[in-house]
Amino acid sequence: MRLFKPESEATRFWNPYAQTMPRPELDRLHLKRLQTLIQYAYERSPLYRKLLDREKVRPAEIRTLDDFTKRLPFMDKGDVLEAQAAAPPYGHALALPEDFFLQRFATSGSTGVPFHIPLTYYSSVLWGESWLYLLWGVGLRPRHSFYFPFHWGIFAAFWSGYMAVRRLGGTVVSGGGLDSKARITQILQYRPDVVFCTPTYALYLGEVAREMGVDLRQSSVAYVFVAGEPGGSIPTTQQAIEEVWGAKCYEMYGSAELGPTNHGCPLQGGVHLGEEWYHALVVDEAGNPVPYGEVGEHIVTSYIQHSQPLIKYRTHDLVRWTDEPCGCGTTWLYYPGGVLGRTDHMVIIKGVNVYPSAVEALLARVSGLSEHYEIHAGREGVNDFLSVKVEARSDVASQRYPALKGEMESIFRTQIGVSIGVEILPPGSLPRYELKAKRFFDHRPAGHRWQLAGRTRG
Amino acid sequence: MTREETVERLRELQRQVRHLRQETEIPTVERTMQLLEMYCHMARWQLGDIQAMVPELEEL
Repeated sequence: MRLFKPESEATRFWNPYAQTMPRPELDRLHLKRLQTLIQYAYERSPLYRKLLDREKVRPAEIRTLDDFTKRLPFMDKGDVLEAQAAAPPYGHALALPEDFFLQRFATSGSTGVPFHIPLTYYSSVLWGESWLYLLWGVGLRPRHSFYFPFHWGIFAAFWSGYMAVRRLGGTVVSGGGLDSKARITQILQYRPDVVFCTPTYALYLGEVAREMGVDLRQSSVAYVFVAGEPGGSIPTTQQAIEEVWGAKCYEMYGSAELGPTNHGCPLQGGVHLGEEWYHALVVDEAGNPVPYGEVGEHIVTSYIQHSQPLIKYRTHDLVRWTDEPCGCGTTWLYYPGGVLGRTDHMVIIKGVNVYPSAVEALLARVSGLSEHYEIHAGREGVNDFLSVKVEARSDVASQRYPALKGEMESIFRTQIGVSIGVEILPPGSLPRYELKAKRFFDHRPAGHRWQLAGRTRG
Repeated sequence: MTREETVERLRELQRQVRHLRQETEIPTVERTMQLLEMYCHMARWQLGDIQAMVPELEEL
């Protein structure tokens, strides 16, 4: 007895109808979905009604995608936080009564107050569904098992991955409540096919395994799915993870507020927008869509967040979108390189816009450098500057450090067009992180960063 | 089966499930029918049959 018919199992796409839909048809469908969502949010969410009333727009006036792009306001995290603060925890942001809630999530509030995320049962199923385009696309089926070295807390983190495995019909193996050594032991015991974690934790588990004398390349794990921070589409990090685990590494990009918006392409190198459940624009600093192929801020509309609608939501993530056909066969939008940075992380060096991700991507060009690095941004007078600290690999003699420094600085000059100072450090010099790594350190005045992010502050 | 035939059968199934949900007085059956209706709505959305964001707001 099998869960899926053999002919279904052989299908490359989880939903061939939607994933191969021609762009004009897909856009017509988006318009219908957006109109339905806008009407729903206007009728049910006091926050959204207020935003539209302020702009003097009625849902019925959104007749085209152009209307959607030009007439509707953006939503920002601050709008929702303000609405939530009116009557904590959810305030005026809600569109459904609490009867429908399945689970409450919240962000840590490390950059301010926590953002509360109420999830309905239906939304939870759709969070899971959003991963399925990736899981199914790389060949995972109900017979496979999935390991979660994860604490199952109030943060959304890998809960959506768990919901995905439930939806697929695969086997969940929980690594909750254990330390890293116990998790390595569990992986050897239960022999999962897949591990879900942050890129930083994937590398950290590799170091712990080495200390235990375990070679993860010999383990059962064939896939590492990473999320929670950039890395899965950064070649340096992706290759480092694949070397440690002897497994393929794929990214899921999203946010706690929106859910898993973009799944890694089965061919790697970037992510696709999950167009069944999300609509996206990529805009410039003035809020106008940039042409395909250009970099801009990712603006996402969720068809999933039924209890707290998010429409034209500013992620402050920088992506490059393209409508060029992808080798994997889907027509859904493709973002090569995944998330390229944050709007407030942009550094302007002598008039050249430089994003930390561009620097990260080039670090792999010099053999002898490890995946442990820090990028520091500073400001002198009216100019930003960048510097990089990077550890050499353990098999590199310290006499070679000056040559590595020269080679790396030369690559930055020729590839990015600006001078970036490099400091080569011995292995183990930089801090190690268990969950998310802190690799970008911004020492510039806060007001300057907010200005770059296009926000109203400072 | 064509997409249109699939959508039509899903609509009919959802109508029946909703009817049963409204008629039953047994909580466990009511909840199961509610979830079944949700999955019907989801499958229709995925085939491009868009009527409402959530099944409870649909007129069938």
